Amino acid sequence: MSETSRYNRQIILPEIGEGGQYKLLKSKVLVIGAGGLGAAILPYLAGAGVGEIGIVDDDFIEISNLHRQVIYKSSAVGKGKAAEAKAMILELNPLINVNVFSEKLSAKNAISLFENYDIIVDATDNIAIKYLINDACLVTHKPMVYGSIFRFQGQVSVFNYQNGPTYRCLYPDENNSALNCEDAGVVGVSVGIIGMLQANEVIKMILGVGEVLSGKILVYNVLKNEQQKYDFEKSSEVEMTKEDFEQKYNSSENQVEEIKFELILDEIENDQVLFLDVRNEDELPKINLKNTLQIPLVNLENEIGKLNLNQTIYVFCQSGSRSKIAVELLQKHQFKNIKSIAGGALAMKQSLHEKINSN
Amino acid sequence: MIEVKYFGAVAEKTKCEFEKLSFSEELSLQQLLQDLNNKYEFESLTFSVAVNQKIVSKTSDYTLHTSDIVALLPPFAGG
Repeated sequence: MSETSRYNRQIILPEIGEGGQYKLLKSKVLVIGAGGLGAAILPYLAGAGVGEIGIVDDDFIEISNLHRQVIYKSSAVGKGKAAEAKAMILELNPLINVNVFSEKLSAKNAISLFENYDIIVDATDNIAIKYLINDACLVTHKPMVYGSIFRFQGQVSVFNYQNGPTYRCLYPDENNSALNCEDAGVVGVSVGIIGMLQANEVIKMILGVGEVLSGKILVYNVLKNEQQKYDFEKSSEVEMTKEDFEQKYNSSENQVEEIKFELILDEIENDQVLFLDVRNEDELPKINLKNTLQIPLVNLENEIGKLNLNQTIYVFCQSGSRSKIAVELLQKHQFKNIKSIAGGALAMKQSLHEKINSN
Repeated sequence: MIEVKYFGAVAEKTKCEFEKLSFSEELSLQQLLQDLNNKYEFESLTFSVAVNQKIVSKTSDYTLHTSDIVALLPPFAGG
């Protein structure tokens, strides 16, 4: 088998041809997140011959990822996702270049990373980072291919495409609290479908064929096989310069302090310390420490009076992302001694279990 | 009759994916959203509102017509 036939089945498409294949080869795509969405996007971009692919992810492979992050092997549990993803897609297509960034995307690295790519793909799992990606795309004038999941539904759109509408035009209110897959639950196929739709948008943009989902959000329901498109317009207040960006993020970033539960095990008997559970009442496992209070995140602002401004409060949720939002919210209300427990109730359960076994 | 569609976490609150509502007089979108909020207590859930497949950026001065289809679209975060 010679390499010349690798792309033959797509080159024979009149929409692609040798010219289209050359466009793919010359394109540079940055995929942020090598989780469920990334696991669907990356192999298809690599297979199609996208010449340079960057992967940003600082996370490690866990056994509970594998039902949906199907590019990883069971033997790779514990290894870094970005490097493993690179190995997998290079095995699929050794002709492309893959750059690994095993770091968290932040306001500090976003702009310099984005500048080296043509298209930015949002394959992340939390809302705050989506605003960050959106804003860095505005500064660097790059299109952002958005995808996200809620249980059996997914959304796909392309923001800032040829100066088109942005994530902020669709969702201006930054203070929202949507659940991620760890917290809400998800089937691998749903994430795969949405990831594939994102990869499809990337390839259409590179080739200049079809209609890009710019100014439209596609909502897909996998249970009903229904999809709908909603149009939205560019709002007037979305311009962002590099100065605006730095002003916005440099003051607020890294203020939420995370702590590992193992380090505060001594404090679970201390009734001066409050463990605040911001999950909904029906979420398992239950965590009953000496001084635990449950206020679901959606009610937190209304019930903030139940909390003592000067108390040390450790906030937890299921996996550690809603608790960060809760900490930010409490900080806005002048609470000072607030930390978010990394890994949430799942990590706490594990630590408590280990503690009991070691005693 | 207008139809209201719910997505994501909003549909979890309403416990249905759509419903048909009848109204006698002219109904503003603002009033509809307020009625729905009273009924379902969306609280801090945020969502964008579409009428007939178009997101309405300013919900305060929008009048609904018979047979309009309204959709409440919250952001999703999973991936």
